[in-house]
Amino acid sequence: MSESLDLTLKVWRQASHDAQGAFRTYQLSGISIDMSFLEMLDVLNEHLINRGEEPVAFDHDCREGICGTCGVVINGQPHGPDTKTTTCQLHMRRFKNGDTIVIEPWRASSFPVVKDLVVDRSAFDRIMQAGGYVSVNTGNAPDANAVLVPGRDQEKAMDAAACIGCGACVAACKNASAMLFVSAKVSQLAILPQGKPERAERVLKMVARMDEENFGSCTNTYECEAACPAAISVTNIARLNREYFKAMLVSDPV
Amino acid sequence: MNWLVRALSSSVGKKFVMAITGLLLCGFLVVHLAGNFLLYVSPEAYNEYAHKLHSQEQLLMVAEVGLFALFIFHIYLAFSLTRDNQQARNVSYARRETKIEVPGPTRRISNWMMATGFVVLGFLILHLADFKFEARSFDYEGKEPFDKAVMILKNPVTMGLYLAGSIALWVHLTHGFSSAFQSLGLLHPKIKCTIEWIGIIFAGAIGIGFGSFVVWAMIQ
Repeated sequence: MSESLDLTLKVWRQASHDAQGAFRTYQLSGISIDMSFLEMLDVLNEHLINRGEEPVAFDHDCREGICGTCGVVINGQPHGPDTKTTTCQLHMRRFKNGDTIVIEPWRASSFPVVKDLVVDRSAFDRIMQAGGYVSVNTGNAPDANAVLVPGRDQEKAMDAAACIGCGACVAACKNASAMLFVSAKVSQLAILPQGKPERAERVLKMVARMDEENFGSCTNTYECEAACPAAISVTNIARLNREYFKAMLVSDPV
Repeated sequence: MNWLVRALSSSVGKKFVMAITGLLLCGFLVVHLAGNFLLYVSPEAYNEYAHKLHSQEQLLMVAEVGLFALFIFHIYLAFSLTRDNQQARNVSYARRETKIEVPGPTRRISNWMMATGFVVLGFLILHLADFKFEARSFDYEGKEPFDKAVMILKNPVTMGLYLAGSIALWVHLTHGFSSAFQSLGLLHPKIKCTIEWIGIIFAGAIGIGFGSFVVWAMIQ
């Protein structure tokens, strides 16, 4: 028989984007320490439904820490107290009996609340549409060894490509800046030979779109790096700045 | 030149200008501090330096216009970026905790850039009023530069405000120096640690250096 927890939850409730939101307090008892955080929210919602109340809306999909869909701010920390962990991979053993847990959505002007803990992260999609791709001919897949990629570059590109686009970097940043996300997406393509032809155009367009979406600027506080469940390094931000600097000076105007 | 203006008006571009103007102003601080250290050599050495400097009228005018432009850009962008950053989060968190496990020596200081910047700006205005425009109620008549410096620095109000300015500058540069390198994309992992430590030592040297003149004046 595993331990169980009695908890007080303070959850942000907001009926819709335009509605006024507020914290609601809920009591939960008998929560197993082996439950994941989202399973705990499932239990809360079961109770709410049984009582005839509106369940708490929250985003989730794979619950394996790889899709980037889940994500709430737990006691002031995006994805909760663990490092390199998504909300779905956080377990209730991280909490103590009698704890009060404050649960909020990502807070950023660019991520408007849809309902309760669900935010609209389509701003990230629009940044990707602006340049986060490579243009390739369709048809047969090219020969696997036609383009050689040095192992070191492949490692760096893969480290950047580990970004799951969850938005924790924006949530953690005091300026709600998307620099860590954009830098990871710029880096993963800039490092690889397939990404080189559109390199300059890509960084200029993605940064322009990032600004249009009203994300803040980077003050080099590095909260994003600490909050990132995929351990994306701020060295990618330095690379983004470098890419932008080069593109600004020595590329054809976009 | 439209492409350049457009590129430098983005959030990344503004940080470039912030970094470049900041580093150039650091250069000015080094030259200014080196000149001031002549106070410790002898009154004659300092007076000779001051007179020689002020005899270079054209050079001085170009330098002053350049410095003024650097300050204006740096300060204007500080306000512009702060406004953008505040607009980027319209609802604040009920609770906030850092996830940085062991905060590095310079990391939390980024929250103090605007506040320390204001103190430095206040100090700068006072300093110009004191030495350049001779606008405060001192008896400037016929004083050699060395005597003038001692007279101003011995004033208790000056001492307090100049010390506050030096400490604020110290804090400001502790983050600002290495942050400028990151903004310019130069903080590669292989030099990151070195640059961060150089920034901390540089900030300390500048802060203590300028602060030392106030302490020195006390015992004159």
